[in-house]
Amino acid sequence: MKRVILVADDSPTIRKFVSVALTVKGYDIISCSDGMEALEKLPTNKIDLLITDLNMPNVDGFELINIVRNNSDLKELPIIVLSSLGSNDDIQRGLECGANSYLIKPFDPKRVLYEVSKYLN
Amino acid sequence: MESKNNMENVFSKLGDLKQFFVFGQKIVPVIQKIIDFMSDVVPLLENVNNSIQDSTSKIPKASTQINSVTSANEIATSEILDIIDAMFLDLSTIRTGLEELKNEENSEKIKVLNEVVSKIENDSSRITISLQVQDITAQQLASVNHLIDSVQNKLSSLLFELGKQQDRPIPTFDPASVSEQDSDYAFSDGTFNENARYDRSTEKQDLVDTLVLENTKTSQEEIDKLFAK
Repeated sequence: MKRVILVADDSPTIRKFVSVALTVKGYDIISCSDGMEALEKLPTNKIDLLITDLNMPNVDGFELINIVRNNSDLKELPIIVLSSLGSNDDIQRGLECGANSYLIKPFDPKRVLYEVSKYLN
Repeated sequence: MESKNNMENVFSKLGDLKQFFVFGQKIVPVIQKIIDFMSDVVPLLENVNNSIQDSTSKIPKASTQINSVTSANEIATSEILDIIDAMFLDLSTIRTGLEELKNEENSEKIKVLNEVVSKIENDSSRITISLQVQDITAQQLASVNHLIDSVQNKLSSLLFELGKQQDRPIPTFDPASVSEQDSDYAFSDGTFNENARYDRSTEKQDLVDTLVLENTKTSQEEIDKLFAK
C-alpha cells in the first residue's frame, strides 16, 4: 500500500518540487496551501507523514505542529519542516513545537527523500 | 505748563513715529525678499504635490508588475518541473527495461547505461534545486511589494491632507486593477520571509542538523533519566 504524505506550503512551486521528488519513489502526495487546510485534511485522509512550511496564512507551521502534537490521534505523526527561516530561534522553535526534521530551502530532493524514508521505511 | 507738556508728548510721539519709519525702511526689503521667496516656493510646492500625486497613482501599477513577474516565473518553473517529472518517469522506465534486457553478454553495457541514467537523474535533481530560486525570489518580491504598499499608504494619507486643503481628488488603489491571475500567485500579506536567500552552501543545513542532533540527545537524556527513577 502506498504511503500518503501531506504537503502544506503556500508556494505552489514548492508543493510541486516535493511532489516531483516523492511521487517518483512511489509516495502518494496530498497538497494544501495553508495550515487551516492541512488541519481539515489530516483527519479525513490516512496521512503517514506531514511536510510543512512555517510561514503560511491562516494557521502557520508552528501552530499546525502544535495542534498536531496535542491531538491524541495525530501526535505520533512524523513532521518534516521545510522552510526558508534559518535563524537559530526559528529552528529551535520549530523543533520545540515537535518537528522531527528541519530542512532549509533551497532543499536537495535527495535529502527530502532520505528524511521521508527515515520515518516511513 | 500744561501746553509745554503736551508739546513734549507730541515730539516724543513724532520721534517714535520717525523710528518706526526708519525701521520700516529697513524691514521693507526683507519683507520683499520673503514675498519673492514665497512666490518662488509656491510653484515648487505645487510641483512636489503633483509629483506625489503622480507617484501615488503609479505605485499600484508597479505593484501589479511585480506580481506579474512572480506569476510568470511561477508558471515557467511549474512547466519545467512538469518536464522533469516526466523525465524521472521515463528514466524509471528505462531502468526497468535495462534490468529486463540484462544478461551475461551485455551486463557491462547495461551497467554503463545504468550509470548514464543515474547521471541524468542526478542532473535533474540539481536542476530542481536551482529552480527553487523562484520561490526565494518570489518571497523577496513579496517583501518589496509590502514595502511599496506601505509607501503608497503614507503618500495617500499625505495627499489626503493636501487634498483636504486644496479640494483635489486623491488617487486610490483599485484592487480590481490587479488581474485575478496575479493576485493568485502573490504571497499573502506577512507570509513571506524578507530574509529568504538563495544559498546553495550546506552551512545552514549543517547548523540545523547539529541543533536537531542536540535536541534528540536532550530528549534521549530526558528519557534515560525518566527510566532511571
